[in-house]
Formats: sequence, structure tokens, C-alpha cells
Amino acid sequence: MSSVAGMYITQGIHGLVYGMLLFLVSSGLTLIFGMMGILNLAHASFFMLAAYFCYAVLQVTGNFWLALIAAPVVAAFFGVLAERFLLRKVHYMGHVAELLLTLGLSLVILEAVKVFWGTESLIITVPESLQGLISMGQHIQYPIYRLFIIVVACVVLVFMALILFKTRLGKIVRASVTNSEMVGALGINTPIVFMLVFGIGTWLAGVAGVCAAPLLTVFPGMADQMGMDCFVVVVTGGLGSLLGAFIAAFSIGELNAYGVQFVPRLVPVITFSFMVIVLAIKPTGFFGEREA
Amino acid sequence: MNGKTRLLITWIIGIIIAIALPHFVGIVYTNVLVTFMMDATFALTINMLLGFTGLLTFGHAMFFGVGGYAAALALTHIPGFPLIGVIFFSAMAALLLGVLVAPLLARVTGTAFAMLTLAFGQLLYVICLKFREITGGEDGIAGYDTPPIHLGFVNIDITDPTNFYYFALVVLGLLTFFMWWLTKTPFGTVMIGVRDNALRVDYLGYRVKHTKAVVLIISGTVAGIVGGVYALFHNLVSTDGVLTIFVSFYPLMAAYIGGVASFFGPILGAAVLHILDELTSRYTERVDLVNGIVFILVVMYAPFGAVGIWWSIKARLFKKAN
Repeated sequence: MSSVAGMYITQGIHGLVYGMLLFLVSSGLTLIFGMMGILNLAHASFFMLAAYFCYAVLQVTGNFWLALIAAPVVAAFFGVLAERFLLRKVHYMGHVAELLLTLGLSLVILEAVKVFWGTESLIITVPESLQGLISMGQHIQYPIYRLFIIVVACVVLVFMALILFKTRLGKIVRASVTNSEMVGALGINTPIVFMLVFGIGTWLAGVAGVCAAPLLTVFPGMADQMGMDCFVVVVTGGLGSLLGAFIAAFSIGELNAYGVQFVPRLVPVITFSFMVIVLAIKPTGFFGEREA
Repeated sequence: MNGKTRLLITWIIGIIIAIALPHFVGIVYTNVLVTFMMDATFALTINMLLGFTGLLTFGHAMFFGVGGYAAALALTHIPGFPLIGVIFFSAMAALLLGVLVAPLLARVTGTAFAMLTLAFGQLLYVICLKFREITGGEDGIAGYDTPPIHLGFVNIDITDPTNFYYFALVVLGLLTFFMWWLTKTPFGTVMIGVRDNALRVDYLGYRVKHTKAVVLIISGTVAGIVGGVYALFHNLVSTDGVLTIFVSFYPLMAAYIGGVASFFGPILGAAVLHILDELTSRYTERVDLVNGIVFILVVMYAPFGAVGIWWSIKARLFKKAN
């Protein structure tokens, strides 16, 4: 195997890692869209918030594993609070008010983060067992930590898929995504389901945030890039569709990875064109039922 | 004295105050007033979409930014470019962008419109960030000369803060008047119809998509001119200054805090935000945190903004009289 092929494969795995992170964040986003009919603009902010919590936990305890468990849970707690005490209050006013509220929320989270942790990039070091490179074949040296991200994401996703497709709760959630009013009419407490999905969605974003923190470093702008890519993923995959988000996340991940290699300046244009082309052929995205 | 003369007198007093103001407040506050006027006009362009046509936009900075960049590029590369040309150039650049994006944006409404404008805005931001040989990237374009106003044989130097204040007052005042006039025309009524019941407007024989496209293009062009004034005022156009998502959010917050239900609400909202700025920046660096919290509170408890609060107070006070 030549070194060029090795480079391509390395980029391919990079794309896989980014796709995994994207899917972790956008799966929550697409489920929330399905239930509430709005794209949560503050979703990527919880991704960032979890990364900062991870930094805080590391400062206090120095234990990365503890941070990996605790930070997403705390982020999810804030997500649930935001849903219960902010979003639910404006639900009756319609989508514009809800969108504006999530916008205000993202602004407040961003500024609050700057108040507590400043504007500089904070560096998170991974534990020693995850440092270093692993050798795969002659020309491929791959960082262990990135492979670890793939493993974590897979475990989380399999777990979520089991809940979503094999339990009664999952059935209710899937039904609410399709038609929440009907589910409510059948006597199921949909506000609680909404809150739960919001919490789980922000928890998934939080897991992605902690995983991404050592790669990207923790800084106030980290929500922007992730938020934009997730938006492209959710719209391309079809709003409310998990399978669509899955396929779109990996497409965007790979496009990003190879785009960075060949035309670094045009990466955002490529992902965006991808979205426009998909929407031009199929206005609902890959598997969406509603038009974007 | 009937309502019309009272309104006329209010306007005359307002204009006299606006003309006299820079002579009383000093240079620093004259510049604050100029930024306030720019924010207010920018917020009005957003309100033309949000309040009058019912279209929520998250990417209006793209028009503002394109106008700003057009002005800065023209002044940097063309020697002796006249001031009126700068304004015209900004308007044309924003108009062109509007014509390019309108066919796609006019097809959608609601959440999708908001998301697509967000996407276009972000795309333009990233492109300007990456193509640094044209746009200067993060550093932006700076240090170009601001041309004077040619009035026959008199040249007025607008680098002087007071002169610039008058220049901005005239340009932005004309734009505001134009937008206000537009909402009073039959076309303005169709705009409101599209907001309230697009289907019915369609059945009445008006073209909903075309109306939305035209409103978007007009609003974008005006925003572009405001961007051009921004470029003249700051003598610096950078991606962080004119194209980031917060450039779109700030006037949106101003419009919503002021009240999207009335034409002049956004001006009030911009004033509220600027006063908040003045008060909070003495105590903290994180002014936007306060703005964001105020914005959330307004969205939750006062959906019609400051104007709505005033209306409800008035209704309560004068209930017995009626």
C-alpha cells in the first residue's frame, strides 16, 4: 500500500469521526424538530456547554472518565430546565416566538460561557491510556483518541436505537415525532415526553461536546461551526428523520474530510452545495416527509 | 387642533431636535447617535420582513455586509470615487444579492425561510472569511479615504463627526421615510395580507411569491445602503463587523424588543438596546448577556414589545374615559 492510499484512508477515518460527532448532535436536533416543529438554534450551544463542563470537571478532579459521564448529564439538566421554563411557555405563541427564544437562549449561553471561562481557547488533554497513535498497516498511523470517539458514539447510538425501537417509550417518542397532537389525544402526557426528548437530545449533544473537546479545544465559537453543519445534516437528511440524519451526517463528514484535503477554502461551499443539490432533487431531504 | 396638525407639529419638533442634538451632546455621543440611527434603520428593514410580511430572517447581515464590502472595495480600488457613487454601489451590490437569493427564498415561509436565510448568511460569512485576498479575511478592509460631499463648488468633509451625523441623518432619514411610505401604498397592504393570510391573497389574484421576493429585495437593498453608511462611518469593514450571525441578530432583537407590530417600534427597540449598552457597559464587558436576557423576557412576556406595553398601559389608563 502506498503512502498516498494511506493518506486517503486516514482522511476517510477522519470523516467517519466527524460524521459520528455530527450524528450525535443532529440526532437530538432532528427528534426535537419532529416533535416541536422548530429547529432548536440553541442545540449546538449545549454541545459547547458540555465541553466547558468537561473542562470544569477536569480542573476540579482531573478525571476525564468522570467528565465524560458528568458533563453531558449537567448539560442535559440545563436543557430540560430550558424546555420546561422557557420553551414551553412560548409554545402557544407559535413557531416564530419559539425560534426567537432559542436564538436568545443561544446568545445567553454564549455570553454566560464567556463570563465564566473567558474567551480564550482552553486545552483539554486526554488521559494517557488514550494518547498516542495506533499503527494500522504500513503507512497508516491513527490517533487512538479518535478511534475511541467512534467506539463511544457507537455504544451510545446502539443504546439509543434499542430504546427508540424496542421499548414502549421509544414507540411513544416515534409516534410523537410523527404527530404529537394525536398522541396527546390518546391520553399520553406529551409535555413530559417533549421534556424527556429535549433532555436526551441535549445529552447526546453533550456527549459529542465532551468527545470533541480535546480535538477542537474549548472556545466560545465552537458552537457556530458545529451548529451550521448539523443544520445542513438535519435539512439534508429530512427534518425529523433519524435514518436521514445518519446518512447525511456521514456524507457531510466525508465531504468535510476530503474537502479539507483538496480544496480547503471551499469546504463550507461544498457542504452547502450538497444540501442545495439534495433539496433541488428532493425538497424534503433524504427521508423527510415535510418540506424544508 | 385636530390629529393631523398635532402629528405635523410632533414631526417638526422631532426633526428640530434631531438637527440640534449634535451641538449639545458632544463628539462621543454624536457618534453613538450615528450608530443608533444605523441600527434603527437596519432594524426597520428587518421589520419590513418580520412585522409586515411575516418572514423571520436570520441572515440579513448578508445584505448589510455586501453593501459594506461594496463601499469599501470601491473606495479602496477606484481613486476619487464620489460619495453618491458609494451609496449607489452599495445599493446595487445588495440588490444583486437579493435578486440572486430571492427566487429560492420566496418559495418558502416560516421556519424554512428563517433557516435558509441563516444558511445563506453563514455561507457568505465563511466565503468572505476564506477569500482574504479580496476581502482581507478577519482583518477586513481598512484605511480607505472617505470622500467629501460635492455640493456645486462647496465640499463638505464628512470625516468630521457632526457633518457625518447630518449626512447619516439625511440618508437614513430618507430610507426610513421610503420604507414608511411603502407600507402605506397598496403594495404595503398586500404585504400585510401575505403575513395574515397568504392563501387568501393568492385567491384574490395577487402573486404571493413575487410579493415576498420584492419585499426581500427592497429590504435587502436598504440594508445594503445602511451597510455602505457603516463602511463610511467606521472606515473599516471586516467579517466580524458586518457579516457574523450577531450582525443579523442585533437588529432582530431591536425590532422585537421595540415591537414588530408597529412601523416605528424597531427604532424604539434600537434606542432601548443602546441605552442598555450605555448602562451595562459601565459594569460589565458582557453587554450581550444582558441584551439576550432582556430579549428572552420580551419574547416570553411581551410579544408585542415596548410598543405593546405602551398600548396596554394606554388601554388601561383610558378605559374608563371610553
